[in-house]
Amino acid sequence: MNNVMKKLQILADSAKYDVSCSSSGSSGREKNKIGSTHISGICHTWSADGRCVSLLKILFTNKCVYDCEYCVNRKSGEVERESFEPEELAKLTIEFYKRNYIEGLFLSSAVEISPDYTGERILQCLKILREKYGFAGYIHAKIIPGLSSELVYQIGLVADRLSVNIELPTEAGLKKLAPQKKIENILKPMKQITTSMVEQKSLKGPGTMFNGINVNKEIEERLKIGDNSEYLITENIGGGYGSALVSESGMKRKFAPAGQTTQMIIGATGETDWQIVMASEKLYHNFIMKRVYFSAYIPINSTSLLPSVFTAPPLIREHRLYQADWLLRFYGFKADEILDMHNPNLSLDMDPKAAWALRNIKKFPMEVNKVSFEDLLKIPGIGQISAKRIIRQRMVGAINYEDLKKMGVVLKRARFFITCKGKYYGGKDIVEETVKGQILLQEKIKSKIILPTDGYQISMFQNN
Amino acid sequence: MAIYIYDGSFDGFLTCVYNHYYENKAANITVEENYADNFLETSIKIATDSVKAEKVYSAIEEKISVFDLKKIYRVFMSSEEKKEMYLLEYIVLGFSIGNKISMFHSNDTVKRIESINHKINREIERMLGLVRFKELKSGIFYGKIETDHDILEFIAEHFAKRLNDETFIIHDKKRNKAVVCQNEKWYITSMIIEDSDKNLEVIDKEKETQNLWKEYFKRISIEERKNLRCQKNMMPSRYWLNLTEMHQ
Repeated sequence: MNNVMKKLQILADSAKYDVSCSSSGSSGREKNKIGSTHISGICHTWSADGRCVSLLKILFTNKCVYDCEYCVNRKSGEVERESFEPEELAKLTIEFYKRNYIEGLFLSSAVEISPDYTGERILQCLKILREKYGFAGYIHAKIIPGLSSELVYQIGLVADRLSVNIELPTEAGLKKLAPQKKIENILKPMKQITTSMVEQKSLKGPGTMFNGINVNKEIEERLKIGDNSEYLITENIGGGYGSALVSESGMKRKFAPAGQTTQMIIGATGETDWQIVMASEKLYHNFIMKRVYFSAYIPINSTSLLPSVFTAPPLIREHRLYQADWLLRFYGFKADEILDMHNPNLSLDMDPKAAWALRNIKKFPMEVNKVSFEDLLKIPGIGQISAKRIIRQRMVGAINYEDLKKMGVVLKRARFFITCKGKYYGGKDIVEETVKGQILLQEKIKSKIILPTDGYQISMFQNN
Repeated sequence: MAIYIYDGSFDGFLTCVYNHYYENKAANITVEENYADNFLETSIKIATDSVKAEKVYSAIEEKISVFDLKKIYRVFMSSEEKKEMYLLEYIVLGFSIGNKISMFHSNDTVKRIESINHKINREIERMLGLVRFKELKSGIFYGKIETDHDILEFIAEHFAKRLNDETFIIHDKKRNKAVVCQNEKWYITSMIIEDSDKNLEVIDKEKETQNLWKEYFKRISIEERKNLRCQKNMMPSRYWLNLTEMHQ
């Protein structure tokens, strides 16, 4: 077991930079000896950096044949190397799971010998978990670029969620920092995963982005007419392997019931926020990703290609990007509404929704008793929850200004952008400069209370 | 008007609601332990009556909604001091406006119940993640909790499904009760047991697994992003006592 301790130390340490720890989105995997999944995921603890720990997030191995500049485990790096045995890791997962430490496993890996060699060992480990230990909890498996499509498919049948890291928002960035990773090798498994989900009609969009749209049908159509949009690449790879959907026990197995996600590194190369947000929008549209995660680059390697090790990670920028991502997924915004050629970067001083509202001040003030749900969502200070409450309350009576606070509206922000029963509460009149000044003042007060490096937290229920 | 004194059970509370409608109006509803007798108020002991309780129960179900019935029950299980009167107000309002009641977000009575309900739901949600089991020599998985609210029965089903092949006990040390579960069937029972009890001896390998978990917990945090305040916000320190990883 001491051996396992050593491996855990090394392989958890290098897995911590992976952002996702979500255990959500899966339900209805067949019952087994132990375990269940919870549709909205469960946090089991919070580490000292304030991040929720839901899964045992670990690398299978950190022995790597690749030499990516930004990666702590790159071939030329001088770190201790370890690999798990499939049985070892399966057992560890089960013991943690039974004690309610975790919701399941998030297995990522470096590339030992070859993508397929590593992929087979990962598959073996996951199969032991599912079959020998009868584990029905959550598994998130990372797909290594270059893995054969058979293995992608097999892993998809035992995992709940799959992800292929896009790593960097542009091909140029990838060429510069990870020359051994080919963009085709990243996009190919992404497309295969989407296609397999379309085949079993289980594709579901992120957040509320595709509400009212049958994404399975839409993607199927797109595949039929051979849509060659930039990301949905030309080569036609079917999910195929239809017969493997039925396991030996005759039970119907689902392929990646919790869908796929991806992650990109922020601040290692020179991309603008506009490029980043456009890239994520494309990823949502073309592959129907459940999430696109961002990870602020933390300098670990000294190389002239990258920010020096003394550069602080761009945490505020990352936070603003997540807010922009939220606007895409839950607030009905398009990437080119949030940013454009003339405004290629998000303001660090102000959240993107407030910035958008100020640029479009002519659309305001909006009357809370009249405007549609979609418009309510665009008002700074009103979120999903309060917008829903406003709509419900309106069915039983008009809303007074005093009511808004009780309904969870952040009035000190919203009051500049609304009227209530025709009255404006934001001062004399709606003037862009005044409102901007007020908002910046609020943000300043906020950042004084919470120091910048202290401000990192992905809030699920932010109200802006 | 009179002060109602009841036995603290849900049926007892529903009996109070019944009496409020058909006999003396209730000025306050409280359990005996919390009531200091005095000469200025009239107090009535309300004997729990399952027939009356049943009537109120189905009236809530029919005239308000099942959704609200569940909410009323959850709020009743909270530790909120004046929950009985708040609930009575809510039920009275509900009988007059029906199943639309939860749409009145700006009404103070509704809002109060909403916010207590929110608190207890939040604790339920948290505890799904924060219960820590250890494996006892008897093969039973034992977890101890000390929650703000009486939430045992709201988390039991989740764990019954999750650990369907195991026998487990979740012990609410504060309230001396526990949920015991085997083969997915569970019941709530009273339980008084000291940490030092021989029955709570763990298997030899328990310590090792705990150490692995503690080590993992340490390793997974990114030093450059350290944010203890955020950690404490998400996981209040009153829960730390029973969290393996918080005892390094």
